[in-house]
Amino acid sequence: MSAAAKSSKAKPGSAVTPFGAHAPSVALPLAFILTGLLALCAGTGWLVLQPELLATYHYNQNVIAVTHLFVLGWICSVVMGAMYQLVPVALETKLYSERLARWHFVFHLVGFTGMVWMFRVWNMKQVGHFGCVLALGVGLFVYNIARTLRRVPKWNATATAVGAALFWISLAVSAGLFIAVAKCSYDSTEGLAAAQGVRTLVGGLRSVAGFMSRFDAIGAMHAHAHLGGVGFFTMLIVGVSYKLVPMFTLSEIQSKRRAASSIVLLNISLAGSFVMLLLRSPWKLAFVLLGVASLAIYGWEMVAILRARKRRTLDWGIKYFLTAIGLLFPLSALAVVLCWPVLPLNVFTGQLENVYGFLALVGVVSLAIIGMLYKIVPFLVWFSRYSSQIGRAQVPSLAELYSTRVQALGYWTLMAGIGWTCMAAAISSGVGVRLGCGLLGLGVATLAFNVGLMLTHLLRPKTKPFAWPTPPVPNPA
Amino acid sequence: MKTITEAAILESLRQVIDPELGCNIVDLGLIYSVSVADAKIAVVMTLTTPGCPMHESIRCGAQNALLNIDGVEAAEVEVVWDPPWHPSMMTEFGRSATGVGTF
Repeated sequence: MSAAAKSSKAKPGSAVTPFGAHAPSVALPLAFILTGLLALCAGTGWLVLQPELLATYHYNQNVIAVTHLFVLGWICSVVMGAMYQLVPVALETKLYSERLARWHFVFHLVGFTGMVWMFRVWNMKQVGHFGCVLALGVGLFVYNIARTLRRVPKWNATATAVGAALFWISLAVSAGLFIAVAKCSYDSTEGLAAAQGVRTLVGGLRSVAGFMSRFDAIGAMHAHAHLGGVGFFTMLIVGVSYKLVPMFTLSEIQSKRRAASSIVLLNISLAGSFVMLLLRSPWKLAFVLLGVASLAIYGWEMVAILRARKRRTLDWGIKYFLTAIGLLFPLSALAVVLCWPVLPLNVFTGQLENVYGFLALVGVVSLAIIGMLYKIVPFLVWFSRYSSQIGRAQVPSLAELYSTRVQALGYWTLMAGIGWTCMAAAISSGVGVRLGCGLLGLGVATLAFNVGLMLTHLLRPKTKPFAWPTPPVPNPA
Repeated sequence: MKTITEAAILESLRQVIDPELGCNIVDLGLIYSVSVADAKIAVVMTLTTPGCPMHESIRCGAQNALLNIDGVEAAEVEVVWDPPWHPSMMTEFGRSATGVGTF
C-alpha cells in the first residue's frame, strides 16, 4: 500500500514555492538566537574579566547575575527560539501562535536584561519586578507550545519530554519568583490604605516570603536551579535527541520502551530530588541515583541508535551534541558526590559545586545547543533564501553556508576551555579560570564567525544558474 | 514535438539537492518512478526521513526542475513513505558523497 504524503501539479511559467507548512517565520527564532549569542559573548567576557566568580564560593550577587545571564540570556533565549522552530517541525504540526511568540520575545528581553542588572546591583525588589515580566513571557511560551502539542498527530517520547519540560520550566520560574519575594521586604505597604488592592497583593507576597523563609536559602536556590537545569534543559536534550539524532545520522529509535522509561524515570527523579533539595534531606541521594539510572538508559538507547545509523560519517554539529551527551556522565558522577550525606562542607566542596554548575551549563547544555545551532541557523537561513530557488538554480547545501574548519577549531577550543576551567575552578585558581574562559571565548568567537558567515547569505544569496541545456541524453528507444 | 525521455528527467532532477546531505535526490535514491504521458510528467519519490523539515522545499524543487525541461506542460510530484527509503537505494556516487556506508 502506498502511503502518499503530498503531491501537487504545476504548469510551466508558474514555478512552485514551498509554503513551509511546519515552520514559523524565520525572523522570530533568529531574533531569539541572536539575542542568545550576544548574551553568551557578554557572559564569557564577564568570566574572563572576573575569574574569581568561579574560583571562589558561588553565593554572591555577581555569580547569581552571571549565572542568570548564561541561563536566561544565552540558554533560554536560544532554546525557546529554537523550540518555536523545532517543536512544530519535529512533531509534524504547526505553531499555535506566532503573535504570542513575538510578545514573548519582548517580555523575555526586558525581563532577563533587567533581572541580570538588578542582581548585579543586588536590588531584589526590582529583580522580582523584572522577574514578573520574564514570567509573563514564559507563561506565553508555555501556553503557546502546550497548544501546539495538542495538535500533535502522533504522541511519542519527544512530545512527552517537551510537555514535561514545560511543566518544569513553569515550576522553576515560580520557585525563582518565590525566592525573590522571600528576600524582599515590603515595608512601604504599611503606608498604604487598607482598602487599596495593592496592599492585599503585597500582603500576599509577604505571606509567601514568610513561607519561603522557613526553608534554607541555599537549599531553595539549589532546588530552583535544579528545576531549570534538569527539568527544562536536560529534559529537552533527552527528548529532542530521540528525534534529531536519528534524523541527522539516518537511523531510528531502537527501543521505544527504553526511550519512554528514560523520560519517566527522569521525571520521577526530578520531582523527588527537588523536594529533597528544598528540605536539604539526605534522601536526595536516592533520587539523584534514580536520575543517573534514567540517563544511563538514555545513553544505552543513544548508543544503540548510533550503532544502527546508516550515515557512517558524523558531522561536527552532531559531534558537538554527542559530546555534550557524553559529558552528562561525569556530571552525574559529580552530582552523586555532591549529594553524599557525609560530604564535608569545606572550601573544596564549595568549589566542586562551582564545577558542577559550570559543567552543567557550559559543558553539557551549551555544547548541545551549539551543536544544534549548527543545524538550526543554516536551516533558517537556507529556508529563507534558497527554498524558493531549489530546482530553478544551483543552491548551496547547509554545510556550504559556513566553514567546517572553523567549526572544528571551535569544537577543540571549547573542549579545552571547558576542561581547563573545570580544573582551575576545582583548585580555586583565578589565573587558570581566566585562561580557561579565554579559550572558551575563542570557541565562542568561532561560533560567532560562522553565524556571521551564514547570515551573509540573507543579504547576498549565492545561487548559480544551472548548466542548461544539459548534455543531450540519448533516447534508448 | 521533442521527446521527453526518462534519462532527461533524471538528469534534470539531479539539479535538486537534499540540502542537509548535500547530494542530489537521484543519487540519494529518492526517486521511485518516473512516467511521461502527453508532455505531462509524474514522479513518485520519497525522503530520507518522515517529518523532514525540507519536505516541501525538496518536493517543490523537484517540480520546478521538471518544469524546466523543454516541452513539459505539467509536472506532478508525489511523496510516498512506502517503501521506506534505505541507503541501499543510493548510487555509488551518492554513498561516497554523503559518507553513508556500503550495504
